[in-house]
Amino acid sequence: MKSIAITVFIVLLIGVVGLYLISFQVRETESALVMTFNKPTREITEPGWYFKWPAPIQRVNKFDSRGQVVEGDLVETTTKGAVPIIVNTYVVWTISEPLQFYNSNERGSIEEARKRLRSQINDTQNRVIGLHEFAEFVNSDPSKIKMAQIESEMFADLRRAVRDAGYGIEIKTLGIKQLKISKDVSEDVFKRMRSERNRRTVAIIEDGNSVANRIRSEADAKKTELLAAAEARAKAIRGEGDAEAAKYYEMLQENPELAMFLRNTEALKETLKNKTTLVIPADVPPFDLLKGMPDIRVLEPNELKK
Amino acid sequence: MTEQNQEYDLQPQEPQGRSGDELDAAGRSLSEALRISFVILKVIMIVLVLVFLASGFRTVGSDERALVLRLGKIRGVLEPGPHWVFPYPIEEIVRIPVAKRLSLPIDSFWYFLRPDEMLPQGPKTRIRVEPTLDPTRDGYCITRSEKQSETGFGASGSDYNIVHGKWQLIYQIDDATRFFKNVYVEDVKPGQDYFNVITKSITPLLQAVFEDAVVTAMVNYTIDEAISNRARIPEHVKKLLQEKLDTIESGIRVVSVLTNNTWPRQVDQAFQASVAATQASQQAVSEARTYAEKTLSEAAGPVAEELFAVLKGKTVSRQDEEFLWDSLAGEGREKIAQARAYKTGVVESARANAEYLKKILPEYNKRPKLVMQRIYLDAIESVLNNAYEKFVIQPVENSKGAEIRVLVNRDPTIKRQSEEQ
Repeated sequence: MKSIAITVFIVLLIGVVGLYLISFQVRETESALVMTFNKPTREITEPGWYFKWPAPIQRVNKFDSRGQVVEGDLVETTTKGAVPIIVNTYVVWTISEPLQFYNSNERGSIEEARKRLRSQINDTQNRVIGLHEFAEFVNSDPSKIKMAQIESEMFADLRRAVRDAGYGIEIKTLGIKQLKISKDVSEDVFKRMRSERNRRTVAIIEDGNSVANRIRSEADAKKTELLAAAEARAKAIRGEGDAEAAKYYEMLQENPELAMFLRNTEALKETLKNKTTLVIPADVPPFDLLKGMPDIRVLEPNELKK
Repeated sequence: MTEQNQEYDLQPQEPQGRSGDELDAAGRSLSEALRISFVILKVIMIVLVLVFLASGFRTVGSDERALVLRLGKIRGVLEPGPHWVFPYPIEEIVRIPVAKRLSLPIDSFWYFLRPDEMLPQGPKTRIRVEPTLDPTRDGYCITRSEKQSETGFGASGSDYNIVHGKWQLIYQIDDATRFFKNVYVEDVKPGQDYFNVITKSITPLLQAVFEDAVVTAMVNYTIDEAISNRARIPEHVKKLLQEKLDTIESGIRVVSVLTNNTWPRQVDQAFQASVAATQASQQAVSEARTYAEKTLSEAAGPVAEELFAVLKGKTVSRQDEEFLWDSLAGEGREKIAQARAYKTGVVESARANAEYLKKILPEYNKRPKLVMQRIYLDAIESVLNNAYEKFVIQPVENSKGAEIRVLVNRDPTIKRQSEEQ
């Protein structure tokens, strides 16, 4: 009983230690090369559990299979129209074939691979940008801008170059991360920006004034029209009044002479109502009274009958 | 752990080998000791097995997910909460922070600041600005020119402007599996926080992809669109960035992109002038609007615009139109009110006259002369009572050509009244 337990235990122990020596794991983020006497003999790109001969016969060399970034140099290149332009390109790359990577990059040195990749990027950059006009990078007409196309051309070019060189590297994506111009050109750009802005300033002021003037004159025109309409309406109301008053004039027809007389006296009173200076001869009534007692004749009864 | 086990294995084996050669008492005590040590060994073994199994218990925090790797392969994703996995080396877990929103500021499109410029500047210190931008030091974006300038001197259509921008990216790890498989993260060393290691490791990648998106997007906009910081530009950048991140299957989701763009310091004066001009012209327009409102309000009150529309042919019901005229205010209302007053006056006076005539007609028919005389004298009296100054003159008989002169003081108010009208 005791000895069985101990035996099982020892067997387990030896098993565990043995497994450590003759097997290894490749994680999801890795790929591996099995090296037999320091020569790569087996390439593993799938994660899982693998067996090998114990060291020093076989060793395992692991590579990170995740995406890494590398940037080209910030260098001046020229476009098709010989316009200088400064472009900085980056790529995201992975080690896709560990064996090739090991063989072509100084025994799988990441640093070496980055160096080579960088020079490939610079080559691609010069080659592809030289095929395009500057106007395809920046254009006042957005439909003529071909940044995306240039990026994808560079991507294809670099992919092909890297594949042909057999680096065991796969380029996942490529992009232009800086687009600049040389120092001297920047001064010219500022000059142009300044004059452009000054021109715009003038235009803004003119625009503002013309809009303001239009608003004012529109308001004035509206006012005139509104008042004209109101005046027309007022005239109509006056007309109504005159028409209504005319109905009463008909009643005056019964005695036009008296009506006219009343109208005149009324007018006289009305017109001389305010602050009038009157110069009147003394021989009109009632001022004739000032000259003396009037000659009053008492009416005879027979005259009354008449 | 393994070394410990080996020690316990060796100890009991040694006395076992010699047991037969000893005395019974000694043998018994020895076997007793052996038995005890064996029990201890069993207990230790059980404890070790329990500890080994217990090491498989893991807790996943609420803001993270954990990937379970069985012999290197992804077996599944653990949700927040307690879990049991096979202990190392059979299975292991990798924690990925998924719920946290992370922010990454990007200053590589901003101009270079000398250390002394970064210090807070007093109002009097003037910064000397280089007339040029050094492409190796200063960051900026290139934006396209206005379309209209194509017709001007820049015939090639490749005129461009320079703009500086500060950007900020807010992102989140969305897909833990993809992130783990495809994005390079440094190994977490003891004592390091895995979260800090992850954010630090992915910064170069995010920075590169983000700058790419910014450069690609910005050439599509003019400098005016850029400096007015419209939401359209960050949205565009966000879209490009997300596309790129999806291409490399990064499992990273862009939450938002923030930006603040400005014109280069070298052209500050011209741009400031332009801003001032914009404000001035907005001011002029708003003043004109105020004037327009005031003018219309004085002319017709609040219904001015509506009434004007009706005048210009807008069809409304008769009732509505009348309502508008009734709500009229200002000068227009005054005109109509005057007309109404005139109407009332003229009708009333006509009616009064007619009624008066009707009343006195019977009397007049009886004694026309007397009635007329009375009315006449009434009128004269009323006139004379109202007269301001009166002069009664005695005409001289046979005085043809004689004249009298009266100095009349004109009343100054009369003149003023007539002028006002």
